[in-house]
Amino acid sequence: MLDDDNADFIQTGVAISLASSAPGQPPNCTRALGCRLTAGGQVVLFLPAAQAAGVLADIRQNHRVAAVFALPSSHRTVQLKGEDARVLPFDPADHAIVARHLETFVAELAHLGIPEAIIRTVYGCPGSDLVAVAFTPCAAFSQTPGPRAGQPLGAAP
Amino acid sequence: MSIRIETIRECLEGVIPGLIATSDADGVPNMAYLSQVQYVDNDHVALTYQFFNTTRRNILVNPTARLMLTSPLTGAVYRLTLRYLRTETAGPLFEQMRAKLAGIASHTGMNGVFKLLGSDVYRILDIEQVPGPTLAPPLPPVNYLTALRRAAARVAACDHLQTLLDNALDSLGSEFGIRHVMLLMYDEAGQRLYTLASRGYPESGVGSEIPVGAGVIGICARERTAIRIGYMTSEYAYGRAVRANVAAAGLADALETAIPLPGLPEARSQLAVPVTAFERLIGVLYVESTADLHFGYDDEDALVAFAAQLGLAIHHHQHSAEAEDEGAGSEPGPGAPAGRPVTVRHITGCESVFLDDDYLIKGVAGAILWALVRDYAERGKTGFSNKELRVDPRIRLPGVSDNLEARLVLLQRRLDERAAGLALVKTGRGRFALQVERPLQLVAG
Repeated sequence: MLDDDNADFIQTGVAISLASSAPGQPPNCTRALGCRLTAGGQVVLFLPAAQAAGVLADIRQNHRVAAVFALPSSHRTVQLKGEDARVLPFDPADHAIVARHLETFVAELAHLGIPEAIIRTVYGCPGSDLVAVAFTPCAAFSQTPGPRAGQPLGAAP
Repeated sequence: MSIRIETIRECLEGVIPGLIATSDADGVPNMAYLSQVQYVDNDHVALTYQFFNTTRRNILVNPTARLMLTSPLTGAVYRLTLRYLRTETAGPLFEQMRAKLAGIASHTGMNGVFKLLGSDVYRILDIEQVPGPTLAPPLPPVNYLTALRRAAARVAACDHLQTLLDNALDSLGSEFGIRHVMLLMYDEAGQRLYTLASRGYPESGVGSEIPVGAGVIGICARERTAIRIGYMTSEYAYGRAVRANVAAAGLADALETAIPLPGLPEARSQLAVPVTAFERLIGVLYVESTADLHFGYDDEDALVAFAAQLGLAIHHHQHSAEAEDEGAGSEPGPGAPAGRPVTVRHITGCESVFLDDDYLIKGVAGAILWALVRDYAERGKTGFSNKELRVDPRIRLPGVSDNLEARLVLLQRRLDERAAGLALVKTGRGRFALQVERPLQLVAG
């Protein structure tokens, strides 16, 4: 589903967001604070639990997610869909990933004029509040603005 | 209680892009970034429809969406629940969003990619703040209500159009800290706007013109709505707009281009608000800055409210100048004309007037000046009234909305800037005098 380039892309300093949907309810969305790919090809996202309450409730109900990864400086954007998402406890071993993600993201946004204090406020999260969501991508799309937006990743140009 | 959208509008400017979550008929979620969110009123926002993408498909079958917005001032995150209502493809809202999007596209290297197909209007069902840390907001640059109150008081205290214009533009600087301002009047018959006053430029540009529909100013006039752009974009640069119009126009109706429109060559932020009175367009108030995102929703609101005051005041002074003809006032009595003669040349048709071969003015103001100097040369007449100009067959005013008083101010300012020994001096309400300091040689051509 993801080639090496896209696998690297979603694990670097990109903005990550996660959406969910339950029947009869408005969709939910939240930010994620980092991403790890497992050896088995699963995407693991780290979420602030309090902010993500609606998303977590939807996932527990129907396991469907859409995750968006975007690099502000290039607009490169990837969307992954999952149908088997599960909520997992946060593994303290992943703290290093979350910390590294924040630093690379701060560096990415530094030259776009957004104050660092704001980025750290929005993307910082007390460790005790983190929770993980794991899913297997079942579809992947480019969402980079332009004529190819919406095409499946890896589609012929 | 739900948060009111007008209290969090800093989140809508796209500094930190918003996100929209939707779902399809089968409940599959989707998420997309938003280049802008447009405040419509306290119950509605509008989003750009640029491509027929998944978000678009989803809201047509499943109109409830969630938005995630982040304040670039405090880091506070808000979740909005919205319901899609309709798409507008023309009109004020569409033009406001199209202009803004052009700036964003230019700023983000997305020229030619971002193109507005429609403005999707959503009803706001709920706004909640997402739990999480926030920073204290920075102090605002100005207290808008105080600035508006003080500026409005200055506008209300003026006794004629000249002082009104000076006070209005000065108060934008002193009360709002806005350094680059133009006031353009609407020429309904010619479908153009002419600069009547400005602040903050090396040349005043009084008399320069821009067509209705061109650039930020022209679109503001055409749509009668505030147009605000936060980033530099050539698409809305007025220089280009004027050149394009001149290239397309016939010679007889060519825009005035001898007088360059003032303006910052590197304007990044532009805001134009319509000046109206009793639902008639009077002109456009335009402000600009070399900084990105310099004007926000609060600036726009304040200027729209100020322009409403200004419009009523201009309307009042235009009409009172003729309704209250005070009779001949004490006219200043300059000495007899002396020194080198000045040649006043008039060209029939476009009504252009040249002083010593230098272009001065054209159109209605040109016709007025030619009538005045002829009366002076033939009869020694120096005192005039608005009332007599209105019925003067040589001037052919275009109708009730002719802005006669404004055109007199325009003429007066052009003469003052030229300093060629000719001046108009106000001698009373609805009355003025022609002051001639050098002998005149009239040439009709």
